[in-house]
Amino acid sequence: MIKYILRRFKLKILVVDDSKVARKYILRSIASIGIEAEFREAENGQEALSAYKEERADVVFLDLTMPIMDGYEALREIIAYDKDAQVIVVSADVQSEAKLRVLKDGAKNMYPKPISDEKMRTIFAEDIV
Amino acid sequence: MSFAFNEDQLDILREVMNISLGETTANIAQLLGAFGTMHIPEVDIISSKDLQAFIGRDLSPKEDYHVTKQLFSGHFGGEVIFIISKESSLNLAKNMFQAPTTTEDEINDSVMELTNIVTSTIVSRLAAELDVTVQFFAPTSAIMKCVEIVDEEVLSYSTVIVLKTIVDFQDENIVGNIFVLTKDEAIQKLKDLLDKKLEELFA
Repeated sequence: MIKYILRRFKLKILVVDDSKVARKYILRSIASIGIEAEFREAENGQEALSAYKEERADVVFLDLTMPIMDGYEALREIIAYDKDAQVIVVSADVQSEAKLRVLKDGAKNMYPKPISDEKMRTIFAEDIV
Repeated sequence: MSFAFNEDQLDILREVMNISLGETTANIAQLLGAFGTMHIPEVDIISSKDLQAFIGRDLSPKEDYHVTKQLFSGHFGGEVIFIISKESSLNLAKNMFQAPTTTEDEINDSVMELTNIVTSTIVSRLAAELDVTVQFFAPTSAIMKCVEIVDEEVLSYSTVIVLKTIVDFQDENIVGNIFVLTKDEAIQKLKDLLDKKLEELFA
């Protein structure tokens, strides 16, 4: 029910990736499953942290391998600022060690790139509250 | 130190690389929304001194190429070089941005993202199969002629794991050349890990 009510409002979603096409891919996938959202984008962890502090996002999609500040550090900083932040890590790194590390640091879940529409549905149905 | 791998080590390395490339192909196919067919990859170990001659066999000396490099470190470290022709990169960008024309920035962005997915999937799958961990750094990209690819920095590596494959995506050919550069210490670690994997398999 809570999830249903949340879907009635526009979610604030922050998409963090140094690749424009990777951000576009996530935006497209979210839109294609019918989620209404206000999107903001950041190209690295530092920009993401500033954007999050400026205005909290309901969901953050975060890449790991980025210049200036990588996703691991950005995740720690965002969670330190807001322990309830909902961060979904999206990375081409498929090592279980990487997933364990981000889950330990407070990410809701981690998925391999690229995220299919089906997987995006799962994220909004199961990972995000 | 010899960089030579014995037949068993090469066999298991080829098998792991096949699995990695299969996963990479599936990921790229999903990204491009097109069914991908991967040709059987050529996996070889060569000295970095022989890399220029190896590259010269397939690449045109007159053509420009997008050359992207990505460093990784950890239980074994090195650098991956991914080479894609300008024509392939243009097709790639048009597909990824779903636009009839694209800017140089968009082409560069598409190549970098493709490289990130290709190299991270291959190396992290290799690491997972060998039960070790590696960390990745952000890739860098440049346009250059094939004779400019092997520079002093590349020659500072001793050994190159060559992964050559052609991935067809319906109407468009994306031909990628992948080279994993490693140093003596890393190659010895890789050999040890492959031996350990062989022992586990045949125990």
